[in-house]
Amino acid sequence: MSGEVLLRATDVVKSFSSRGTKVGTRSVSVAVNGVSLEVKRGETLGIVGESGCGKSTLARCLVQLTPVTSGTVEFKGVTLTGLSRRRLRPHRREMQLVFQDPYASLNPRRTVGDIVADPMRIHKVAGENEIVKRVENLFVTVGLDPSYLRRYPHEFSGGQRQRIGIARALALNPSLVVADEPVSALDVSVQAQVLNLMADLQDELDLTYLFIAHDLGVVRHVSDRVGVMYLGEIVELGDAETLYERPLHPYTEALLSVVPELNDTDAPKRERILISGDVPDPSDRPTGCSFHPRCPIATERCTVEKPALVEIGPGRSVACHYPRNTA
Amino acid sequence: MPSDPTPLSDAVLRVSDLRVSFSTRQGIVQAVDGLSLDVGRKEVVGIVGESGSGKSVAMYSMLGLVRDANVTITGSVLFEGREILGLSDREMQPVRGGEIGMIFQDPMTALTPVYTVGWQIVEQLRAHTDMTKRQARTRAVELLAEVGIPDPKSRVDRYPHEFSGGMRQRVVIAMALSCNPRLLIADEPTTALDVTTQAQILDLMEKLQGTYGSSIVIITHDMGVIAEMADRVVVMYAGRPAEIGPELDVVRHPRHPYTWGLLGAVPRVDAKSRRLTTIPGTSISPLDVPVGCAFAPRCEHRMDVCSQRPLMRGDGSHQDACWLSDEQRVAIRTKATAQEASS
Repeated sequence: MSGEVLLRATDVVKSFSSRGTKVGTRSVSVAVNGVSLEVKRGETLGIVGESGCGKSTLARCLVQLTPVTSGTVEFKGVTLTGLSRRRLRPHRREMQLVFQDPYASLNPRRTVGDIVADPMRIHKVAGENEIVKRVENLFVTVGLDPSYLRRYPHEFSGGQRQRIGIARALALNPSLVVADEPVSALDVSVQAQVLNLMADLQDELDLTYLFIAHDLGVVRHVSDRVGVMYLGEIVELGDAETLYERPLHPYTEALLSVVPELNDTDAPKRERILISGDVPDPSDRPTGCSFHPRCPIATERCTVEKPALVEIGPGRSVACHYPRNTA
Repeated sequence: MPSDPTPLSDAVLRVSDLRVSFSTRQGIVQAVDGLSLDVGRKEVVGIVGESGSGKSVAMYSMLGLVRDANVTITGSVLFEGREILGLSDREMQPVRGGEIGMIFQDPMTALTPVYTVGWQIVEQLRAHTDMTKRQARTRAVELLAEVGIPDPKSRVDRYPHEFSGGMRQRVVIAMALSCNPRLLIADEPTTALDVTTQAQILDLMEKLQGTYGSSIVIITHDMGVIAEMADRVVVMYAGRPAEIGPELDVVRHPRHPYTWGLLGAVPRVDAKSRRLTTIPGTSISPLDVPVGCAFAPRCEHRMDVCSQRPLMRGDGSHQDACWLSDEQRVAIRTKATAQEASS
């Protein structure tokens, strides 16, 4: 890892305004609330969080699929936020997405060969003959038989479709691949195949991944660094190993403690920290720390003063007044 | 070796050689192919398998929820000593929801959106007991309180859409428990939920099992949930049981190559992971299950004999359907562990 920053987000905010519950009112949901992060070349940054925490919205903001409400996103030193669609286009080639649902993300009326070839046609990277050759190579790269090129998505299983989605993402030789829950729709044995494939591709093609998932095991497995999101904010960021071994934020700690484990060793079972209640409505955020209504160690201070995400060790940041496991 | 933990007299549910097939235009689909299983009193049995393994169909057909001219169900399902397979809807009515409670995967579709949750619980109580309306309503409020719904007195008059996913699943659990069932069947009860909510629900189910003493059959694709909840596990593949045994034995000393693959493929939260082991290929088409071992086409340890169907065998409580001898298994596992250690 060279440490060069490929993507830098600064204070990204994305809010959605919708009709309120009463006539004439509007309610504003802040889906992403001031996220700053860096993705370094060659690494995998995992973003983990529960449904509704804003992780997918963040991904879409980072690759400019959704305009941000405020804040900036820089990619290879160029500020992308605010660029026109035309000015953005050359940068899009370098950032590609792999989506969650391999059924919904492939056009059922086009052959899988066309689906993978389209990005190259749109960006006019080569002549048609050359493109077909590249598609065949991509199929081999992701472990599919190139003779399937003329088939349609419905003829493939979920795992194969996700391979097609990956081939499409790789078609333009991107440097950054943003994968939004790429394996959550797959059975565990197929999930393992796709995760291993993504790891191999990263080595071979020198890819940088932003990997978004709700499955804590999957995120630990793939990530070099991990960011934990809660209610649109990154509450903890750090090297995957240390974050999982010594979580700092009480939310991370609770989250890790409740993942059902295989008790296949005699190691004592982790004590479950149950957090009560549900994630609050993002249009009606708690005051102070967003997590305080559910936090087992919240104090008076947490209800009024919002903790900032501060670096408390090399590469280790947490947004909490009373970080855990720091001794 | 311990003897069979569920002697006949103590089994709440006794399934023998259950087979369910659907005849479709493309051919016969054998969705469940010879499942035998005992569920003891107060026992929690987990059925684990990937999509299409027949785990849900097996449960639904036992309860008479799979009824169609194109379905053939054979075998025997004894519930408290009484054959329930082939009972008419009228005969099943006091059993379903009364003696056997059910929790479904998606709490939104398990509840009707047009009635309040209280109405739905009251309806069930009134159908299965001789409570008056007023008694049933009082009981509904008690049940909501028991499953941890805050402010149950006012929540009882709310509609399902006014609850979050976790709260809805609590309502479904309250309904399932309302008639004090002797058996609870939970089909992927936490799959639609976030991990913190899943923990709340699993915790609740454990607590309630203590109070109500029901036996539970929990169907899931998640080995972690099994490890958390189950006393015994059935691993299913292509409609057939691949391995049955006490939870700890199966997780720590899995015998069937499919179980090896399944366990090795789970990325771990509690340890730095190595490369995941994968099972090559994908689940076989249910129209095209081989005559012999169903797992053979994907199995690395396939032998000639695998073209014949293996029977369940093993010592006492831990059994599996595989032709590998004990010596072969030990050799394979030792080699795998050595490879893991060296990498």
